[in-house]
Amino acid sequence: MKNKTTKKQKIRTVLVGVAASPGYAYGPVLKTERRKFTLDPSAQPTSTLAAEEKRFRKAVETTAKEIEELKKVAIERLGEDEARIFDSHLMMLKDSMLLDPIVESILKGAHNARWAVHSTLSGLITQMENSKNEVLSERASDLKELYNRLLSALDESVPKRAPKKSNGPSLLVAHELTPGMLMTVDKDNVLGFATDIGGRTSHISILARAMQLPAVSGLRNISNLIEEDDMLFIDGTGGMVILNPNEDDLNRFKEKLSVYNKQKQELFMMRQLEPMTLDGKYITLHANIELPMEADSVLDFGATGIGLYRSEFLFFRKGAPTCEEQTHAYSHILKKLSPHPVVIRTLDAGGDKLVSDISATDEANPFMGWRSIRVCLSRKDLFKEQLRALLLASREGHLRIMFPMISSLNELREAKALYQECRTQLLNEGVELPEVKVGCMIEVPAAVMMVDALAKEADFFSIGTNDLIQFTLAVDRTNELIANLFEPHHPAVLNMIDRTVRAAHREGIPVCVCGEMSSDPLSTLVLVGLGVDELSMTPWSIMECKKIIRSVNYEDVKATARAVLKMDTADSVNRYLRQKYLQMIIDLGISSFITSHDVKNPMDKNA
Amino acid sequence: MQSKEIVVTNKLGVHARPAGMIVDITGKSKSDVSLEYEGNKVNAKSILNVMMLAITPGSTVKFTANGEDEEQVLAQLEQLFRDNFHEEQND
Repeated sequence: MKNKTTKKQKIRTVLVGVAASPGYAYGPVLKTERRKFTLDPSAQPTSTLAAEEKRFRKAVETTAKEIEELKKVAIERLGEDEARIFDSHLMMLKDSMLLDPIVESILKGAHNARWAVHSTLSGLITQMENSKNEVLSERASDLKELYNRLLSALDESVPKRAPKKSNGPSLLVAHELTPGMLMTVDKDNVLGFATDIGGRTSHISILARAMQLPAVSGLRNISNLIEEDDMLFIDGTGGMVILNPNEDDLNRFKEKLSVYNKQKQELFMMRQLEPMTLDGKYITLHANIELPMEADSVLDFGATGIGLYRSEFLFFRKGAPTCEEQTHAYSHILKKLSPHPVVIRTLDAGGDKLVSDISATDEANPFMGWRSIRVCLSRKDLFKEQLRALLLASREGHLRIMFPMISSLNELREAKALYQECRTQLLNEGVELPEVKVGCMIEVPAAVMMVDALAKEADFFSIGTNDLIQFTLAVDRTNELIANLFEPHHPAVLNMIDRTVRAAHREGIPVCVCGEMSSDPLSTLVLVGLGVDELSMTPWSIMECKKIIRSVNYEDVKATARAVLKMDTADSVNRYLRQKYLQMIIDLGISSFITSHDVKNPMDKNA
Repeated sequence: MQSKEIVVTNKLGVHARPAGMIVDITGKSKSDVSLEYEGNKVNAKSILNVMMLAITPGSTVKFTANGEDEEQVLAQLEQLFRDNFHEEQND
């Protein structure tokens, strides 16, 4: 026989999941879990047992140190909340339900330490996996992580084998990206991610986008289907993977990849280019971020600062973070961005999430309830702690502080007075502080009506379009029955924005828009035309936004804005904008247009 | 000795992180604390014991505390469950 293919035929499988991060990749698979350890169940001589126990205790110590280290990295990369899982791992490690049986297995069962660990933990893992609760049976992964760590730590006496290096860059496949795995990912050797679970908002998505790698999640059972020598094609734009693709697939992949790379390259070339209209009007483009680690890559996306850092991420855990923890997180972001500005929004969350020592009553109307600046002004202890941390961090870069949900001049004054109090206190302590601009969000209709007064006392405005639309139109957009009423181009909303911009410019202060609206292509043009100075959006929208800005004349979009302000209905605004700019946007190849607009207004098509 | 029945309202049930939060409270308490679920009663100071119960969302559990701060520890636990272990419940 001439043909000597000994490899067994690989089966082509197509799996559909969630498009977690755009892009395409093809390569060998790297399975994350599973590592084989040599195990010896035989009885050990009694004389060695005490030494075995000692070895085990030492392995526990080593493992605890490892987890502490991971926890530190996790706090830095993902924040305090996600790092909590490592506290659970440490508790398991100290749990007598785990330690006692292992020690007993060594001393009474005369097993070596590794077998004792293996047999005890395997028992627990099996018990967990057999649980009728599906979620919990999945969560056996925590114990498995511990199992791997302990056995690895016991490997020390054996000549340490270098961890099996992947054959060059590969695709990471896992049931779920655990915090531990995320912290040890070698950025240069990963082409993309595919996981069984996780949605568009999960960490794999945020992380992959920050790393600019394609990812598909929600694939259900890919981690069981694949084998180590499988090849995988990931389509992170479409949310699909092909296991062991055939020639046709690969040709199509190459085509898609070259188009994608060309687009991406083109966009990245634009990183150097200024976000300036054809007739020379400069629009500042900033990034919105949630995790401290996202700060690492925003400059790569062409942002020249951070327009919104949502500080509440630090607070979503038990008990408020200390002043030191907060200072550390803020400093990290400020240092990364320096000398570019970073706008940090003070706590903007429902009271129930922040304060655990008072019983949170179920609010009938939480969006209009005890939240945001209202919580801060009634819990001054928390607020002052945050302001102090912000001021301490301000020495590391260019900080701007922003108060959310201001609905009256009194609130702004009170918040500013507390800020001054903290500042004076620090100055009295001998801390030198740079100037810090203090502004507020405009997201409540009352603030728009009183915007002239607010403009005299704030250093800048940031319009939170999501809340402004919701409150202006009285539409709860989480309610599916009325979701179609959530209309950013409603003339009422556009006139609110116009009023805010005019008041701000009269007082010589800048206006930013930091809601989702700023990254919608048609809305971008209207906002620029209305005179908005800065747009802040998710990092991966920035380059497309830049492309749009560079394709229009400021005088022209100004005329457009004037025209739509006079219109009576959102329908006529949308029709007008589409007629004027749709073709241009399609010609520019702006992909987000299709998803953000056509899906939102399906009825509009016939108009 | 005091007991309290609590409904599990978070989306994922008592997996590793919530279990850690429970033990964070019980571990600091001076009282003996036990947790009862579907006829199994375990020491609530052991994270593995708590995890192994595989408590599902929507079920009811019973904590029993015995000691000088028994009232306080039960109140803290109740609050923790009511806060859904600070998990995001939307999505």
